[in-house]
Amino acid sequence: MAFKTLDPLLHSQLRLAIMSLLVSVERADFVYIKEQTGATAGNLSVQIDKLSSAGYLSVTKGFEGKKPKTTCKITSIGIEAFEAYVNTIQQYLKP
Amino acid sequence: MDEQKDFTPQESLALINSMISKARQRYSDKSFYYLLWGWIVIIACLLHYAFDSYQLIEEPSMAWLVMFIGAAISIFYGMRESKQAKVTHYTDKLYGWLWLSMSIGMIIVIINGQFINFQIVPLILLLAGAGTFVSGAMMKFRALQLGAVCLWAMAIFAFRLNEVEQLLAMAVGIALGYLLPGYIMKFNMKKQRGL
Repeated sequence: MAFKTLDPLLHSQLRLAIMSLLVSVERADFVYIKEQTGATAGNLSVQIDKLSSAGYLSVTKGFEGKKPKTTCKITSIGIEAFEAYVNTIQQYLKP
Repeated sequence: MDEQKDFTPQESLALINSMISKARQRYSDKSFYYLLWGWIVIIACLLHYAFDSYQLIEEPSMAWLVMFIGAAISIFYGMRESKQAKVTHYTDKLYGWLWLSMSIGMIIVIINGQFINFQIVPLILLLAGAGTFVSGAMMKFRALQLGAVCLWAMAIFAFRLNEVEQLLAMAVGIALGYLLPGYIMKFNMKKQRGL
């Protein structure tokens, strides 16, 4: 049986961590994702942009008082891609 | 986290599991609402009881106007909390829907009181018990579920009382079903934060 190729967008540690986090919650802000993944703000911002450009995440930018606040939410395309990724991983792990 | 590092399917799965478990909702602090509504309902019950027993005002049920204060504070606090929240879990929305549906049920019971011989209090206690029991299950917080049992016990008791005495049963039920678990929740959260 031929293995499906893993979605290269998800087969990256930080992007996979972001997606795994967001698939479990309704929405999360940038600071929360940064705290949970331990990534630097710059790197995180770049990876969120990549996921958002692919339509996997929707990103809302706003303000909390005077501070900027970025909120991320996984989209239905993102959920499908994540599920497909997990299914493929499971195929690889089957004995 | 090294973004470029190549990793195996096993490592992928381990990463997914670790992130999901990080995001899994821990014990969330909803004590504010239980304490707010606990005190407001108790005050309304005792005011109504006093107005009725000592004929202080013509319409004793006016005591329940304090509920509007509770609703205003709840809405204001909820909006502020949701703006400040770093993360919103799926269960946060469910709590909202659960208590909205319970509140609608309570309002329907109240406005149709004349058709049920004004047995409003026991039915309100039943609905409050259901909401509290499900909330306790969602939070995995046993004290709330025990509180719900107290609310149901007071509902059974209240069916056997007259309308004015029912107010006291409700005050006791709410003290045991909302306030006590609310204070336990607040204490646990303080302990968790190391305060």
